[in-house]
Amino acid sequence: MSANLHPVHRERAAKKPRAVESVAGTTMRTVAGAMIAIGVSAFGLALLRGEAAIAWEAYLVNLLFFLGIAQGAVAASAAFYLTQAKWGGSTPYRLAEAFAPFLWVGFFLFFGLYFGRSLIFPWVTHPIAQKAAWLNTPFLFARDGIGLGAMALASFAFIRVSRGDAARAWAIATDEIELPPHSIRVLAPLVGVLFAAVYSLIAFDLVMSLAPVWRSTLFGWYFFAGCFLSGLAAMALTAAVLRGRLGENNLFTNPTVMHDFGKMVFAFSVFWIYLLFAQYIVIWYGDLPVETFFVVQRVHHMPWSPLSVACLVLIWMIPFTALMSVRAKKTPVILGTVAGLSLAGMWLERYVLVVPSLSLDAIPFGATQFLISIGFIGAFLISAVPGLNRVAQAATSGEPVGDEAE
Amino acid sequence: MSTIAIRSSFADETECARAIEELRAAGVGDFNTFSPIPSHKIEHAIGRPKSPVRWLVLAGGIAGVLTGLAITIGTTYEWRLNAGGKPLLSWPPFIVICFEMMVLLGGIFGFLGVLQLSGVPTTATAPGYDARFGEDRFGIVVRCDEEQAAGVESMLKESGAEEVSRCS
Repeated sequence: MSANLHPVHRERAAKKPRAVESVAGTTMRTVAGAMIAIGVSAFGLALLRGEAAIAWEAYLVNLLFFLGIAQGAVAASAAFYLTQAKWGGSTPYRLAEAFAPFLWVGFFLFFGLYFGRSLIFPWVTHPIAQKAAWLNTPFLFARDGIGLGAMALASFAFIRVSRGDAARAWAIATDEIELPPHSIRVLAPLVGVLFAAVYSLIAFDLVMSLAPVWRSTLFGWYFFAGCFLSGLAAMALTAAVLRGRLGENNLFTNPTVMHDFGKMVFAFSVFWIYLLFAQYIVIWYGDLPVETFFVVQRVHHMPWSPLSVACLVLIWMIPFTALMSVRAKKTPVILGTVAGLSLAGMWLERYVLVVPSLSLDAIPFGATQFLISIGFIGAFLISAVPGLNRVAQAATSGEPVGDEAE
Repeated sequence: MSTIAIRSSFADETECARAIEELRAAGVGDFNTFSPIPSHKIEHAIGRPKSPVRWLVLAGGIAGVLTGLAITIGTTYEWRLNAGGKPLLSWPPFIVICFEMMVLLGGIFGFLGVLQLSGVPTTATAPGYDARFGEDRFGIVVRCDEEQAAGVESMLKESGAEEVSRCS
């Protein structure tokens, strides 16, 4: 029916992208493999040199950060189905699911913490009598292990259906298909609810329990909202990077789609600061030493105070001011840079949440922690290779999106 | 040479937006559009500059923050109360008041700005208005010279108009 199309649409239909099958392959796998080797050697060397505490701190921070991105992005895909998002066809779904294989890597790495438990969890060496029923090694590893395992199983069941033909047909459909497939309508809410529950648990067990007397009811929510934001930021960054690598007229060259990625990073950056402030103000008002010390150590205590300020600047202040205008959201260089800074801020935030509980008076960041982080980046990238190729295929398939699809 | 008005109605939002794009491409600029729903597509097609209301909202927001600061700092100095040894001027609770005042005054300024700039409330209807444009039809009323009329009519019909008629 191209004869009936408006000239603008006819022109756009003529500009089909060239299909790209693969954007990540041997080179990326080799580089990522080398990074993993560097990380593993640095970790082993640190254990041999008696720097085990520093190595385990880096391990925990990176595990929380990268698992948060992978799971937060899958939760974003579930959220897209729940809100019936069709603004980018099927590509945003593929992008959100691209990092998912790391969920299994993270699941197994979590059990690695067992060997560092006496250096990470203060209550292992100094048990707290009143909390012993909850804070004991077998129960913690059992409940968090089951939680992460269930989360990974649910995520993969969800992704399997999401990648299927029926879900894709719905995502790129005009008006004929009312709702996504039934199994998606069951699995997407399940992934969302499990995400909130399991990542609250992870926040309480793997972050809050490092300062076992401290408590904040909102902390779990704050933690998984941060995971969600880091997932969205990783998606925006990937979109901005892939835009230049997929040839002309790929989906990420569509300003409306980039605008939508920008809106999400902006919105959830504001949501993050909202939850942070909601906790802060309650602790400030209550003024109970058992609650305030956690904040005081991080906000008023050197050397941590500048790092906390940096988190605020990177995760909220920069995205809020830089992404306020429509034009900035539609400019991939700005969006990509802001998303990258936001991710750096989230990593720093995980660091500031975890490490002061274990090493209050000095920042133990050095070559060891840097190289272990490199190893985690490698593991994350190697897990993302097949997913990124799926993103490339979807983004260059020339399927109709947004206005054209309606 | 006399100007006449041509009224057309559309069942479909996208077709209406396309017709507007074609009218603008052909240089027929003098037209009114009626829509039963707020439509981004039609808004984009019309291509009007951004509304100045946002500057009013900004002004209202800034005024709100200043009012919030005046309320919090003013009352604190008026009633010096030592609460738990905290400093007299403590910013965390002030942020909440300033934020709420910003939202309140920003909203009020925006609302009044919309009323003022769109000229409502009014009892007069725009020329060419039809009751269906408030129900389920999109409408475009073009004002043009008599010799252009035939061209405009066929353009509207080609874009998918259900009805094209001349009105006074």
